[in-house]
Amino acid sequence: MNVSGRVRLSTLLLCLAPGVGFLMIFFGLPLVRVVLRSFSGRGPDDPAFTLDAWIALFANPVYRDGVWFSLWLGIAPTVTSLLVALPLAALMQANKTSRKLFGTLYRIPLVVPGIVAAFLVLVMLDRGGMMTRLLEPLGLSLPKMVRDPWGIGVILASSWKNIPFMTLIISGAMAAISADVLSAARTLGANRLTVLWRVQLPLAQPGITAAVLLTFISSLGSFVVPNLLGPPYPLPLSLHMYTEGFQKGNWPLVYAMGTLLSVMAIAVLLAYYLAIGFVGRNGKAREARA
Amino acid sequence: MDKTLSIRSLVKAYGPTHALKGVDLDVPAGSLVTLLGPSGCGKTTLLRSVAGITDPTAGSISIGGNRIDALPPEKRNFGLVFQTYALFPHMNVEKNVAFGLEMRRVPKPEMARRVAAALELVGLGHLGRRLPRELSGGQQQRVALARAIVIEPDVLLFDEPLSNLDAKLRDHLREDLRALQQKFGTTSLYVTHDQAEAMALADEIVVMKDGEIVEKGTPVDLYRRPVYRFTAEFLGMTNVLPAEIRDNSCRLPWGAVRPVENPHERDAEGVAIRPEDIGISAADGNADGTVEQAVFMGAATHYTVRVPDVTLRVVAAGGQSAIFAPGQPVRLNPPNALRLLRSFVPDRALEAAA
Repeated sequence: MNVSGRVRLSTLLLCLAPGVGFLMIFFGLPLVRVVLRSFSGRGPDDPAFTLDAWIALFANPVYRDGVWFSLWLGIAPTVTSLLVALPLAALMQANKTSRKLFGTLYRIPLVVPGIVAAFLVLVMLDRGGMMTRLLEPLGLSLPKMVRDPWGIGVILASSWKNIPFMTLIISGAMAAISADVLSAARTLGANRLTVLWRVQLPLAQPGITAAVLLTFISSLGSFVVPNLLGPPYPLPLSLHMYTEGFQKGNWPLVYAMGTLLSVMAIAVLLAYYLAIGFVGRNGKAREARA
Repeated sequence: MDKTLSIRSLVKAYGPTHALKGVDLDVPAGSLVTLLGPSGCGKTTLLRSVAGITDPTAGSISIGGNRIDALPPEKRNFGLVFQTYALFPHMNVEKNVAFGLEMRRVPKPEMARRVAAALELVGLGHLGRRLPRELSGGQQQRVALARAIVIEPDVLLFDEPLSNLDAKLRDHLREDLRALQQKFGTTSLYVTHDQAEAMALADEIVVMKDGEIVEKGTPVDLYRRPVYRFTAEFLGMTNVLPAEIRDNSCRLPWGAVRPVENPHERDAEGVAIRPEDIGISAADGNADGTVEQAVFMGAATHYTVRVPDVTLRVVAAGGQSAIFAPGQPVRLNPPNALRLLRSFVPDRALEAAA
């Protein structure tokens, strides 16, 4: 490498330093530390490198169930929110009246903190809550939805909190689609539903992906809502992490769980991208055959 | 089936303002009618009402005698070409053109054949696999045209389709578009604010202003014998001169006297003389006016001539005619017969009632 090349490289590194350096110091290093500490011993007498924490995590059925339950509490609210947010975002594009109506309604949960949302669900749906008392005269009773084994209360509260964010992002992506393109589809013979399916959703896909990502990550690691509304068993990893760390002082296990949660998040997102990419490629393959 | 498009008493109100104030219009089967007017005159609202994208407040739209104004756009079988092309950005050219056929559940082999034929017609047979963003504006609009005609629509609707293209491309595509329309004999309604485009394309021009039709007629009739001053000035350049009427004759500002075809016109706003209808020649002795400005345009020379009280536009065509310099005195020879122009008074009754 000649002198000018060296100068250019050092200039490049200098220019990258503020951004990349920030990420390295405040994001990369802690993450690396979390991963490394998950392989360390618990006390000063234990070996410096050990798989104890990981073995404990995978050998104990309580933790194994926690892994699955965390995954469930990450995916179920994401799917539920998406099922509500997609039509809502599409409806908001339909006309001015619906834009005004839904535009106001969906903002309400935006300004309500998660803990308040959890208490709302508790007050509404718990045994002896508002819904039970309202339905009682009609001879109806609700299934157990708070502290139930499927975490329905958690899913409801999580979705309630996430739907507005999803709607905000997706409707933004949909609003960027030219109105003429939608009109063109209509005049060519597509009804509203077909336009949604064939034109709006594919064109809004980057926004939908962003919304799914945000909701999934926040639901996967959520602590407050499952703590309040979740069942006594299984507990998601987030709750185990708290107990192990602050009550039992088993920090290597906490770090192992944190690492696993991050890996799970990455795996699910890779699977999501693969599915979307597959759909895209499949479409292209069909085009190529046509 | 008779594909005549009939519009009756069409009204579109946005609160107290009326974008359309009861428009009546027929587009005879197989003909191309252009809606011409300045922006905000209601021409696009009218077109979009026909397409079903805009819901009119009152009135009826029918095709071949069947009311269609209650049908959603997907049930009308109309092809719409937009100023913005409005191609589906995530589909390649073939998929774009095939979309309408897919919606009609046309069998695959027939679909492929018709898509290929439509692309061939617009000269893009070789670009079927490209994405819209990989095409030029002109090519994109050709795809949009292919997409609209491949469904064999009852009516073709054009919403300023050439406005986003540069001049040369615009002329070229305009000719192709007219040739295609005549080949298929598809009833067409075409919105534009460009009078040259309207004259080049139309069987009939409908001039609109403030949500109303001012007047309609063939390009030749409207250009040569407009009733309203608005039409005369919107269709090409014109001189509107104060007229001094006496015994069916009109005395022009520089003293020339010519017979008037319609001397009893009420609401007269003056007489119209097209710049190219005035002869200009060198003054030998008594001049009618003085050249103020001369712009040589190649095929013609455009003059501004100062005559007593008014300035006049004069266009002298012909490659070999003499060119007069500014300051030069000239004689002017007006056409043999003149017409008085009526002023167009918009209908305020609707808005007062609302």
